[in-house]
Amino acid sequence: MRIDEELIDDSGTVTVLAFDTSTAAFSAAIVRNGERVDSVVSFAERNHSARIISEIKELIERNGLQAQDLDAIAVGQGPGSYTGVRIAVTAAKTLAWAWNKPLIGVSSLEALALGAWHELRPENEDLADDLDVWIIPVMDARRGQVYTSRHAANHSGGWRTVDGDGIRLIADWAARIEDEGTQESQVAAIWFVGDIELHCAAIEQAEQSGTRLRTYACNLNAGAIGLLAELRFRQGEKDDVHSFVPNYTQLAEAEAKLLAASRGE
Amino acid sequence: MTAELRETTIPSDKDYVLLAIETSCDETSVAVVRNGREVLSNVISSQIETHKKFGGVVPEIASRKHVETMTIIIEEAVREAGVNLAEVDAIAVTQGPGLIGALLVGVVAAKSLAMALDVPLIGTHHIAGHIYANHLIGDIVYPAIALVVSGGHTEIVLLEAEGKFRIIGRTRDDAVGEAYDKVARALKFPYPGGPHVDKLAQEATEEVVLPRSWLEPDSYDFSFSGLKSAVLAEINRSRMKGETPDFSALARGFQQSVIDVVTGKAIRAAKEFGARQMLLCGGVAANRGLRERLSSLCEEAGVPLLIPPNKLCTDNAAMIAAAADLKWRRGQFSSLDMKAEAIMSLEEWSV
Ligand SMILES: [Zn+2]
Repeated sequence: MRIDEELIDDSGTVTVLAFDTSTAAFSAAIVRNGERVDSVVSFAERNHSARIISEIKELIERNGLQAQDLDAIAVGQGPGSYTGVRIAVTAAKTLAWAWNKPLIGVSSLEALALGAWHELRPENEDLADDLDVWIIPVMDARRGQVYTSRHAANHSGGWRTVDGDGIRLIADWAARIEDEGTQESQVAAIWFVGDIELHCAAIEQAEQSGTRLRTYACNLNAGAIGLLAELRFRQGEKDDVHSFVPNYTQLAEAEAKLLAASRGE
Repeated sequence: MTAELRETTIPSDKDYVLLAIETSCDETSVAVVRNGREVLSNVISSQIETHKKFGGVVPEIASRKHVETMTIIIEEAVREAGVNLAEVDAIAVTQGPGLIGALLVGVVAAKSLAMALDVPLIGTHHIAGHIYANHLIGDIVYPAIALVVSGGHTEIVLLEAEGKFRIIGRTRDDAVGEAYDKVARALKFPYPGGPHVDKLAQEATEEVVLPRSWLEPDSYDFSFSGLKSAVLAEINRSRMKGETPDFSALARGFQQSVIDVVTGKAIRAAKEFGARQMLLCGGVAANRGLRERLSSLCEEAGVPLLIPPNKLCTDNAAMIAAAADLKWRRGQFSSLDMKAEAIMSLEEWSV
């Protein structure tokens, strides 16, 4: 996939309403033709369910938009907080259904990574075009675990997912990234981004060969959700409103126990 | 949209349509109700098969299931009602009490619909819903006494006037439904075991007489944990003596004790407060023994009794619309910032 302006300009105006509640931040944005028109990020309420709809309503209204002006509803599908992800996914499904709009789910982790890359890109401007930067988004998943994935970005607009969303032990994951990054010569830089505060020590520990693993603390911005969704939308993709569910990346505890019991563990 | 409560006057001579959502526990339900009483649809998707495997409701799984079915059930309810979305005048939703993660799904869906359709939102009390299910089948005459018996609740509520709730008695430990499920487990019935106990008690020829927990003479409160312990003690006692416990006699003993106390207190309340009607509601209202006893006691006391059919007794969204109608007619709406509440006061929800 390439995130270039040209691709975006080709097929007419597209306006996307995007939002995400998978992390401690509530974030919503209006994205049009690859640009973030307006956005809101709030940490004020621990309970995203209280303000989500008022914030979305305000965002739509202050941009002079109405439902008919929106081409798609985009939502972060997770992973992240179980309750959090359910809030945005439920709102997105219901709005898409009631307004009869396409629903486009995107990975909250990928959006976290892409948002970070947009912020980091100017600093990495001196990189050669054919070199990759690995962006590793992390969200805390307790007990030394993180929700994470791996994406490769470059300066010519290239963006691809190397490893999909999963829940992993940060110590093992950082060691593996370090190891593979050392072996691949076209990897110019490796950034762990997002919820890194709790995991800095584990990431530093994985460092064997120098200063290749870097960290960048940032929050998810729904602008990146909207951008990823717009690209999917332009490729003619959408999700089925009724069957769309959060990506929890793991079974509920009770299900895991039941499964273990049925295997005689 | 910052005010907690918006008040506007609604013309009363016009037909109106409420769409209601209920997700407080393990049922995803959506109903469309015209003029507060005419049920156009009442779709209920039960998760019971899912939770059976776990021997009870698992909150996290209940929440996941609600997300999976929410829009499907909304669509079904609207289609079955034969209305256009544009005809919906307000969205009602169970605000509480209940499982917080389960409530959240319904509340967020309801707010989304309210915004999408640009209609008012009405946060509704689950127990008010159970009580006003009676308004879907008959006229409520005040003052009335409501006996609410369900898996999560056992309450005697006095309604001095329409929409004015006063709780005069409540359980101090287990709810009736909970006690039934626990006893059912002791009697080796699969979850949910309440109906099995009811059936076994009906068929029993013997009865192991168990204690009645009346509490203080003037109290309308309940306590069922001692009764449940008495059942367990009786099973142990038989086993110690090398006998097989008589499950059906025990089921009958348990059921008789519950019914005596619950109906006895409800009738006493009806007499004390001069009730002109008795309302039985909640999932346990399906219990045959309870229905029969309360019917005969009410007849004796000359207090008319309303009992909704089973589908309106167990958790459903039509009852939520029926209660929300109290607020609709008074123009009392909720803000889009409304929060789901795991614990919520019925009395404060009064109109
Ligand atoms: Zn209930």
